[in-house]
Amino acid sequence: MSTVAYITARGLFGRRRVLLLLPLPLLLIGLAAICRAYDVDPGQWGQAVVVGLGLAVVLPVISLIVGTGVLGSEVDDGTIVHILTKPLPRRDIILAKLLVAAGVSAVTAAVPLFVAGLLADSVRFGLALVVGAVAGAIAYSALFLLLSLVTRRPVLLGLAYILVWEGLLGRFVSGTRVLSIEQYVISITDKIAPTGMLDGKVSVPVAIVMSAVFALGGTIYAINRLGSFSVAGETS
Amino acid sequence: MSDAGVIHDIGYQRYEGPRLGRSAVFGAIYQHGLRAAFGLGRSAKAKIFPWLVVGIVLLVAVINAAVKAQANIILFDYFSFDDTMSWLVIFFVAIVAPELVSRDMRSGVLPLYFSRPLRAFDYIGAKFAALATAVFLLLGVPQLIMFLGGAFTTKKGASGVWNELLDLLPGWGYSVLWALLFASISLLVASITGKRAFAAGGIVAVFLMTAPIVGVLSILPSSTSQHLAGLASPMSLLTGVQAWLRGRNDLGIDVGDFGVIYGIELFCLVFACLLLLLARYRKVASL
Repeated sequence: MSTVAYITARGLFGRRRVLLLLPLPLLLIGLAAICRAYDVDPGQWGQAVVVGLGLAVVLPVISLIVGTGVLGSEVDDGTIVHILTKPLPRRDIILAKLLVAAGVSAVTAAVPLFVAGLLADSVRFGLALVVGAVAGAIAYSALFLLLSLVTRRPVLLGLAYILVWEGLLGRFVSGTRVLSIEQYVISITDKIAPTGMLDGKVSVPVAIVMSAVFALGGTIYAINRLGSFSVAGETS
Repeated sequence: MSDAGVIHDIGYQRYEGPRLGRSAVFGAIYQHGLRAAFGLGRSAKAKIFPWLVVGIVLLVAVINAAVKAQANIILFDYFSFDDTMSWLVIFFVAIVAPELVSRDMRSGVLPLYFSRPLRAFDYIGAKFAALATAVFLLLGVPQLIMFLGGAFTTKKGASGVWNELLDLLPGWGYSVLWALLFASISLLVASITGKRAFAAGGIVAVFLMTAPIVGVLSILPSSTSQHLAGLASPMSLLTGVQAWLRGRNDLGIDVGDFGVIYGIELFCLVFACLLLLLARYRKVASL
């Protein structure tokens, strides 16, 4: 299992595309620092930076790139076969990949969020954002890992979830928020460190339970899917 | 092997027919790109995502036209329709742009393309034209539906239709600007990587990460920075151009006296993206 995790991490970091993960966190920190330097009231910029950029873009997009990258790229170039033919339970493969994906996205998103939260309000707010981001990273990773097993176009489906479901519908239709990981993260963070910046639209118990449902449900279904995975040829 | 190489004529029949030149290749790539944008001529799987976006956009237009006809409430005019649909346009170019350029890199057919009488300019021009046309169709056809809805329910006869048409044409012009800008940026991002998945993620990241910059710049305590804030993001840049050309200040972006800069940046951005694309295709790797 540790070997699978090691290979996955190397596949993720060993290529140039890991640089794709850098600009978003740097931008988040940079914007927060600029606002701080100009002494703008955090009540004005906190929402735009922390929620608009941090929780709505950085966390989901990084989780998407990492989460679909750990398994999806192996499915794409066919090297998944080499892992599948080893005498390993499929459960261990999924868990190892999920661990790497969640860990990498959590670190990449939580560190800049902590800095932004620190600059915006206090250490407490920063730590609350870290907790929220870790919970969100686990739920997102499980979801996107599952997507890379059920469809050949996981990134597009994931983008549809982020852009259309959470972004577009979440703004206009209140019912879709119950199934939006972004809203869980906001609620959890707001509960730990109440500031005026975050505005949780779902209740905290719902947020915690639904995050767990996303994480566990995604993992279990992914194990199930990998158990009966067929290596198909290139389609469409 | 002899000293002087000789190509022997072993008697194959020569091709005597007409030879199609660069323009024919351009047209073929353009047509193929436009069809590929909507998944025409591809499997059902390739049609799902483009037509999902098209379906949502058309639905919004039909609802808009119906509400306007029945209750005389205007949800969006032709301009704010484009602004409201911006996330769907981002999603659409994230689907289509990798389909147009990343696929060719991935499957290593670029050397085959460029062994024809085809320049890098033609290849990029055709792909750009195809994507821009697709984006324009995505926005223009719903606007046409809104126009038809307005034209058939007008109570002022021919002058009502004429007024509606005068509203539609600038709206179409605005959609053309959207198409040019989004096509150029997304093609440039997609041409970096051969993996469609990463290209799609990169395009969405580029468009989305710029939006909060506008939010931050517009609250900095300097009126110049507030007027220029919209330059940071493609979406607000277009809104700024609209505010400049229509002389409006109620569109969410106050361009002040800097309207002309928005126009210049729009032009330069499209131009720069195309030049960078040209530079990118100066040399192509054969996989």
